[in-house]
Amino acid sequence: MTGRVLVITSGKGGVGKTTTTANIGTALAKAGNKVVLIDTDLGLRNLDLLLGLENRIVYTIVDVVEERCKLKQALVKDKKNPNLCLFAAAQTRDKTAITGEQLKSICEELKEENDFIIIDCPAGIEQGFENATAGASEAIVVATPEMSAVRDADRIIGLLEAKEHIEKYNLLLNRVRPNLIKTNDMMSVEDVVEILSCELIGIIPEDTGIITSTNKGEPIVNDEKSLAGQAYHNVAKRIMGQEVEFLDIDEPQDFISKVKAFFLNLFKKEA
Amino acid sequence: MDNGFIEDGFIINLSNASSAAEVIYELSSILEMPEAQGKKICLKLEKIDLTQSQLLSIKALIESMDSTLEFVDTKSDATKEVAQALEITISELKNEMEIPQIQPSEEELQQFTAKPDLFDENVNDFAFQELAQEEGLMKPDDMKPYATMDEDETPDLDLEDDDEDVEKLPTLYVNQTLRSGQTVSSEGNIVIIGDANPGSEIIARGDVTVWGVLGGIAHAGSKGNVNACIRALKMNAIQLRIANLYARRVNTENIPFVQKSSSFIPEEARVDGKSIVIKTTYESKEK
Repeated sequence: MTGRVLVITSGKGGVGKTTTTANIGTALAKAGNKVVLIDTDLGLRNLDLLLGLENRIVYTIVDVVEERCKLKQALVKDKKNPNLCLFAAAQTRDKTAITGEQLKSICEELKEENDFIIIDCPAGIEQGFENATAGASEAIVVATPEMSAVRDADRIIGLLEAKEHIEKYNLLLNRVRPNLIKTNDMMSVEDVVEILSCELIGIIPEDTGIITSTNKGEPIVNDEKSLAGQAYHNVAKRIMGQEVEFLDIDEPQDFISKVKAFFLNLFKKEA
Repeated sequence: MDNGFIEDGFIINLSNASSAAEVIYELSSILEMPEAQGKKICLKLEKIDLTQSQLLSIKALIESMDSTLEFVDTKSDATKEVAQALEITISELKNEMEIPQIQPSEEELQQFTAKPDLFDENVNDFAFQELAQEEGLMKPDDMKPYATMDEDETPDLDLEDDDEDVEKLPTLYVNQTLRSGQTVSSEGNIVIIGDANPGSEIIARGDVTVWGVLGGIAHAGSKGNVNACIRALKMNAIQLRIANLYARRVNTENIPFVQKSSSFIPEEARVDGKSIVIKTTYESKEK
């Protein structure tokens, strides 16, 4: 078995890399794949919190690199899904504790027994980014429909293109608010895709359920009713090569935004 | 805001305002609230002297929000005169309102005592867990705050027995809060005066004592001493390690919520047989 190694990156912080990693990983594992999630955000790890596995971590990536334990010992099994494992980052060290080469050889080893290795990249373009991307052959660039996030995503795509081992990269648009797009207060999905000229792999609507899911340590894909959860399931299906239509993420509008949208459309027609 | 009660309206207490401008400013922010619109309003003004034009503009402001200025309660003679001229009733509000005593019925009383108030800050984890168990939210296994980790989850540290008397080891005092990512390790005992936040690590050959909330990882007897122990004013560690034994906190969900809000119960974690057991310090001293 040779698994695929994906890196989830964005450049900008706070756009939802870790949330995306946790949810795509869980969704892929639920679909029957063997998945390992690697947190490369050394010193600022969060992926364990989102998965609710914080209390089970004994060894981290640094322990493996410094040969204090075997690779298998450092894999933390998920509470519910035995197909899912977490490879945690060390909280007491920083990004320089590992190198890209070391992570690459870890990925090579994990590839043999797993279908997917998903790497959660830290924010920024420094050592952490270099480490995280070193072993990957595919990338998912996460962006929100804001100018700052799109700029940073553009920079990241440029850096990814320069890496020969990254065979393909896709865009995942997170925290999309259809109501704001309708009133022209947010960049539309089409705008972002046009700026970045990058193939889209998913559109995730803004969902307040993400906050509670983070607090509980339970990825939102486990919530059948959540729209964001469904969207992440669809992303997982697309990663597996299925063709899935994009979700209709329209939310019910309140009266004021309806009026605003009406007038905006009116002006657009006249112009 | 000390709002009394009048039929179809309410009292706005502006007795702290010192100028007419302040009255108008405060009033406009209150009137903006939807529940303040379309009501009869009584203004409580204390000693402020208002001119006729000022009171008129206040009246106009209230009327612009579809409300009516019915009463003015004031101690200033000038304001009283102006109010009379504008035909606004001057009222004398009683400062203290009578609160009717309601005696709960026997049934209500029982219900109330049977279920602890979940929003009470002083309610301890156990009360919550009992309630959760009653309602089928938790299995009895989850009741214990800590569980020994399975063998396949934990490494075999293969430590040699360390019989050193912990009381004879040197002690390191750390007089600060340990933040996420900070590590303290010592060949002796460690005392932290402050909290050890989640993400921090304390590793000691002897005992670990935290004079505060222990939220991170603590490893006592790191060279294999099973007689070492971990003490904290509030035991909330994500993981406890003594010698080569591991225990993890069962309920990760409420860690961020219980950390500061619940009261301090000094506890001590010790090795008992093949597992780590937590007792209040009183219980362990009795033994």
